[in-house]
Amino acid sequence: MAEAVTRLNLQAPPPELEREPLVGNQRSIGWISDRVAGIVEGKTPRWWWAAFIPSFLCMSMLGALLLYKITIGVGTWGNNHPVMWGWDIINFVWWIGIGHAGTLISAILFLLRQRWRTAVNRAAEAMTIFAVMCAGLYPLLHIGREWLGWWLLPIPNANGPIWPQFRSPLMWDVFAVSTYFTVSVLFWYVGLIPDLAVVRDRARTKIRKFLYGLFALGWTGSNRNWSNYEKAYLILAGLSTPLVLSVHSIVSLDFAVSQVPGWHTTIFPPYFVAGAIFSGFGMVLTLLIPLRSMCKLEDVITMRHIDLMCKVTLATGSIVGYAYIMELFIAWYSGSEYERYAFMNRVAGPYAWGYWIMMSCNVLVPQVFWFKKIRQNLIIVFIISILVNIGMWFERFVIIVISLHREFLPGNWGYFKPTWVDICTYIGTFGLFFTCFLLFMRFLPMIAVSEVKGVTPQGDPHHPMGGAKAGEHH
Amino acid sequence: MKTIPPLCPEPETGPKYWRSLDQLADTPEFRQWVEREFPAGASEFADPVSRRHFVKIMSASFLLAGMGLVGCRRPEEKILPFGKAPEGYIHGMPQFFATAMPIRGSAIPLVARSNDGRPTKVEGNSLHSDSNGGTDRFAQASVLDLYDVDRAMRFTKRGDTVSREVALGFLNQLSREASPNGGQGLCFLLDRSSSSSRHRLQGLIAKKFPKARWFAYEPVDFDLHRQAATAAFGKPVRPHYHLDRARIILSLDSDFIGSEGDAYRLIRGFSKGRRIQKSEDSLNRLYAVESLMTLTGANADHRLRVPPSAVVQVAAQIGAEVLSQAGIGDAGEIRSALSRLGQAAGVKPEWVRECASDLLAHKGQSVVMAGYGQPLAVHLIAQAINTALGNVGKTVQLLNIDEPAAENIAELAKALNAGQVEALVVIGGNPAYNAPADLNWSQTQRKAKTVVRLGYYEDETFAASDWHLPLAHYLESWGDARTSDGTLVPVQPLIEPLFGGITELEVLARIGGLEKTSPYDVVRETFRAFVPAGDFEEAWKKFLHDGFLANSAAKPVDAEFDWGAAAKTIVAVTPSAAPSRDKLEVVFHRDSRVDDGRYNNNGWLQELPDPVTKIVWENVILLSKKTAGELGLVIVDRENNNLQVPLVRIAVDGRELEGPAWIQPGMADNVVALALGYGRVQTGRVGKGTGYDAYRVRSSSAPYIAVGAKLTSVGKLHQIATTQNHWAMEGRPIIREANLEQYRQHPNFAKGMNMHEPPGLKDAEGRPESLYPNPLDIPGRDGKSPREHAVHSWGMSIDLNACVGCSACMMACQSENNIPIVGKDQVSRNREMHWIRIDRYYTGSVEDPQVVNQPMLCQHCESAPCESVCPVNATVHDNEGLNVMAYNRCVGTRYCSNNCPYKVRRFNYFDYNRRPLELLNGPIYTSPLTHKVDGEWELARWWKNPDKGIRPDNEWELLKLVKNPDVTVRMRGVMEKCTFCLQRIEGAKIAQKVKAGPSGDIEVPDGTIKTACQQACPAEAIVFGNLKDPDSRVSQLKKQERDYTVLEFLLTKPRLTYLARVRNPNPAMPDYKERDGKPESFREWEKKGNTLGDLENPGAAHGGEKKGAH
Repeated sequence: MAEAVTRLNLQAPPPELEREPLVGNQRSIGWISDRVAGIVEGKTPRWWWAAFIPSFLCMSMLGALLLYKITIGVGTWGNNHPVMWGWDIINFVWWIGIGHAGTLISAILFLLRQRWRTAVNRAAEAMTIFAVMCAGLYPLLHIGREWLGWWLLPIPNANGPIWPQFRSPLMWDVFAVSTYFTVSVLFWYVGLIPDLAVVRDRARTKIRKFLYGLFALGWTGSNRNWSNYEKAYLILAGLSTPLVLSVHSIVSLDFAVSQVPGWHTTIFPPYFVAGAIFSGFGMVLTLLIPLRSMCKLEDVITMRHIDLMCKVTLATGSIVGYAYIMELFIAWYSGSEYERYAFMNRVAGPYAWGYWIMMSCNVLVPQVFWFKKIRQNLIIVFIISILVNIGMWFERFVIIVISLHREFLPGNWGYFKPTWVDICTYIGTFGLFFTCFLLFMRFLPMIAVSEVKGVTPQGDPHHPMGGAKAGEHH
Repeated sequence: MKTIPPLCPEPETGPKYWRSLDQLADTPEFRQWVEREFPAGASEFADPVSRRHFVKIMSASFLLAGMGLVGCRRPEEKILPFGKAPEGYIHGMPQFFATAMPIRGSAIPLVARSNDGRPTKVEGNSLHSDSNGGTDRFAQASVLDLYDVDRAMRFTKRGDTVSREVALGFLNQLSREASPNGGQGLCFLLDRSSSSSRHRLQGLIAKKFPKARWFAYEPVDFDLHRQAATAAFGKPVRPHYHLDRARIILSLDSDFIGSEGDAYRLIRGFSKGRRIQKSEDSLNRLYAVESLMTLTGANADHRLRVPPSAVVQVAAQIGAEVLSQAGIGDAGEIRSALSRLGQAAGVKPEWVRECASDLLAHKGQSVVMAGYGQPLAVHLIAQAINTALGNVGKTVQLLNIDEPAAENIAELAKALNAGQVEALVVIGGNPAYNAPADLNWSQTQRKAKTVVRLGYYEDETFAASDWHLPLAHYLESWGDARTSDGTLVPVQPLIEPLFGGITELEVLARIGGLEKTSPYDVVRETFRAFVPAGDFEEAWKKFLHDGFLANSAAKPVDAEFDWGAAAKTIVAVTPSAAPSRDKLEVVFHRDSRVDDGRYNNNGWLQELPDPVTKIVWENVILLSKKTAGELGLVIVDRENNNLQVPLVRIAVDGRELEGPAWIQPGMADNVVALALGYGRVQTGRVGKGTGYDAYRVRSSSAPYIAVGAKLTSVGKLHQIATTQNHWAMEGRPIIREANLEQYRQHPNFAKGMNMHEPPGLKDAEGRPESLYPNPLDIPGRDGKSPREHAVHSWGMSIDLNACVGCSACMMACQSENNIPIVGKDQVSRNREMHWIRIDRYYTGSVEDPQVVNQPMLCQHCESAPCESVCPVNATVHDNEGLNVMAYNRCVGTRYCSNNCPYKVRRFNYFDYNRRPLELLNGPIYTSPLTHKVDGEWELARWWKNPDKGIRPDNEWELLKLVKNPDVTVRMRGVMEKCTFCLQRIEGAKIAQKVKAGPSGDIEVPDGTIKTACQQACPAEAIVFGNLKDPDSRVSQLKKQERDYTVLEFLLTKPRLTYLARVRNPNPAMPDYKERDGKPESFREWEKKGNTLGDLENPGAAHGGEKKGAH
């Protein structure tokens, strides 16, 4: 098609102003459909099995460990008396944080007309959903009597006319996380509908046709379909946008509302949101850098995408770094012996190593993204993205464990160590995450085909290469 | 049957009246209509047969439905109601009986609670003239011993079970066989007892079998006090101290607050002199000379740490000083003997001089006490000083107490080795475990032809006995005893012996060949001697009811100090050389939890943290930091849930033991402390594998202090568990204290240590207001808030000046509130469950620290941080000010504990109440998916009876009896905490409501409710009551200047406040100047840049500008 286009004699912008195209190598619309749907339709690659089998085993281990924990008690974890929350809440917050990038990319960047989001939004949204699933497991299962977890829901129960306690941030968590999960799933699914139709239309077997057809909800690609679809998508984007900010703000209130020195801070909501976006982008990079080469998607997820994501990481990492410094300053400025000690204890206490891992991974390491050369080096970016995730894990460790282990009365200061169950449960959540993610990329189009087509020159009616100029009907 | 109104009988004659045309017509339809009162179908059941059938079917179906209902749990077995109810018994209501716990030649008067026939809690008998109702931790924990799953439950002959009759028959036979030869070869080994009945029986047996020999053995023997006083005063007397009358107390290694006998009574006297109301009041002053850091040293105003062997020198120096200045005429000889002992190394002469002059300034108002571990000479010096100061008859009374003569265990060993023993009767004790190592007792005992043993456990001595009889617990036995002042008290059973155990009185009565051998008869018979014959029955009833015989206390006697005899003993003493790194001194001391080993299988005591070291479930080898450093031991002492300490080997006289080393601040250098009572070979499921056995290196020649010991590192590490990992208070004003001088200058000092108030909302009275007003403070329609409606407003005050840290409250709480034990592994993860704990901080240097204690329990905050964060409303406030916990509603998010600044909430990480005892030691709780109990798969077992869980049957059946039925037994996954003994509050409120009747006076009078901790506290440091009543004791205490709130700046407004501690050091003493006249904790607080602010307006603008936070 593209070859048939006769170029208009327009003056081209000077090369330094030319934006790098969002789809590399001037790939055609058909190529995009073929390549993306090809992952779903083609033979299962070997590397997929190599990744799936260990992931599945880890997920099975998670199931076994949760059964073990439910039959015996929370004591199987390392949680103890001053440190009543340990790896359970650390990992909850960590996974929730990772779940932030997806909706940010899909909703906020959509509203801000950042067209580069199209290549990464589907995978990021899937990542969000699976990360929130992993996160959701923890608050549900960290409680002492798991079978009564539904008492946190505002529904009539055996306790008579007693409602949940609406003053408790844990209550707000329940609403925030469940709303976030529901809206994220809807958003993701709505975005999937046109692409499911693409896979359906290309299907060769009846079963595929039926199943993809079922989930494509009778999509025909008509003007009316598109018009409704785009409205729905816009509305959902509008709905998701405040959620991006609310979920992690509310999670941060679990801490900020309490009076534990080191938790009781007004800076927490914005700082948690920035941290969440930071870790979310870290995780997106960790996932997409290998994926784009495995699935040969370099022309769709281009170096420009990587570059932009690195910049977001740098920006949010700096915000987080500012927050760390601010916390220290406020602790000193408050004049409160207990606040000062809590922060001194982070910097130089028995867990200082945790604090310094956090500081270096979250504040120092991302600063190298100031350099374009580094942003273009996939190996370094990949390593840094993993460091960012480690750093953000330690941020939660610092906040939860270091604050709790030495509080007001020195008489009950304690120490926390995880047990093997803690560690293996955490590994198990990776199993759950990757199992879901691998299934997703194998069975669903992991790039938003229709949207990517829209950002190609061919998809732009005003572009010299735009499809309309070819005189085709559309 | 339905009643159909009969039709009016028609008159045969006369006019016929008709009511309607239908009736007139009298059609069959009409007749039927009249018959049918109700619409069609409704009277089908009018037929009696079919209606009965219907009822039958209905009831049958109800019954069938009812089978599955949990609510209808009728026993299937035949049960018989009381034909005639026992007097005073109301089902479900506890009954209280006066009794006493005999211990080591003394007794604690008690009132024991019985719930449906099972004793569940003991409390001190406050009616007793020498008791305030306080007890010690052992008495509180003794209830658990009654239900010990490992106690001796059978009569045995050489290990084989025999019937009770056979065993008792053997005792009769023993008696018959001994008769012809006057008891030749019959030996008795007894523990110390104050039982008059036992003394009487001993007398009877001695008369009948004059050749029988009597031996007494206690591994920790308080009889030394009597022996010393007898030697000093030339009469059989025992010293009885009245610390409440003393202004100056000098302890010569006497841990009268911790390990001495009758400590609960001495604590009461001591604390009485510490409880002050105003700054003008005077305080007593305690000087302690000791080698270990004991509770006495922790409470001392001046503490001198010296090796144990040097105590005699310090005593001699003080004695010489006092005697020379007191001008006792006939003390010349003794003075020269004292000065010959020389000076203890490293002791400042000013210390001795000023201490002596302080004593001299308080003649007749001071007291000097020597510890059970010190040799006779120290006791004699102590009594000499008391005599010189005129204390005898005032603070020290000499009680004439006749003790049956007994030889010591070494003599018995000699007799056994010589083959002179035909039959050895061992009553109580456990000599095979705790006899001196050089006697090699388990083999020596075997040399008797027959050994009969009455014991509570099938323990080490069991293996070396031919006959073993199960001893009854004191709550199962009839007996009598004398308390420390000599008052006669009854030992009453509350329950039939659970396993058919018998008492020592019965054994002695049978051997004595008495006609009436039942202990009840024996005790009654003994009692006859104390009351006039005519009043016997009435007096007996009163005796049992009150729990003591009034006016039976021993009469104090006057006695002259025998200066010559004392001098002779003192002259014979040669001071030993100061210990060094290669020649360490060893102190064997009574353990503060398992005593001499008798409570080794008591889980409550095993899990009770040592009041000083806070270590649980074992004993450690205590060293000073300097000594450990010199010996090259690296002991990490920071908080860590896997505390690994080096194992060391101690060698004394060729005997060795291995144990974990631990640094004790305040220990004398080159001294090691070995606590007795652990490392049992043969003990129960609880005590198994706890600690090392210090008896292995203890010889009869050096029972308490051994010199020349060597310590070498084994090169292995050992894990220990403590309940408090951090030792320092970090300069935080948590426990606030001042010296008396400071207190007089700044009576408001405690409030002056408040943090400056954050700027914020203030109410009309200028009090900071919380952002969210408590719903209980919001006025209702009648203009009164729920709090104002309440009749009561509960609060508590703890006097840190009175509290000595003895931990009796912890045991009382555990017993009252069904608190489970969790085991060493769980404690090392800080998961112990105590609702009240005693925080112990060291302040100052590690060599000579000051120690402060603080009982910490739920503060019942008015704006409780725990409440607002609970998502399921499981912890809420009631209108009487209690922070209550609804276990059933708790799902276990643990947020409340995170947000509790006092960290007093405890979480059931596992199902501690249902875990088999064998799993106490970990390493981890087994999974019910894989584990079997009693040969049955755990899950299946749980399915059948979820209440019983995975406890083996024998544990379950016994241990459930100890539970207080008024308190929920918590399951796993729920949070729990102090309730201020809600069950007691409610009980008292209900009783008051019943009593008030229509009068409406439902306010519980002050003093009616005592929380379990308050009740057990011998120091009366804890006071609970109604804050709405301005005259209640607690309201009065809270008005004191010393009243302060811990972490007041958080505005949690606790209902529990503390009274600041006031130390009373002597300004002339050297350490007073070294400490700048301030307590160490105060100096640490000042070092943080704090100063006592504007005391007229406490709290406000305190350090304001300087801190720059406004």
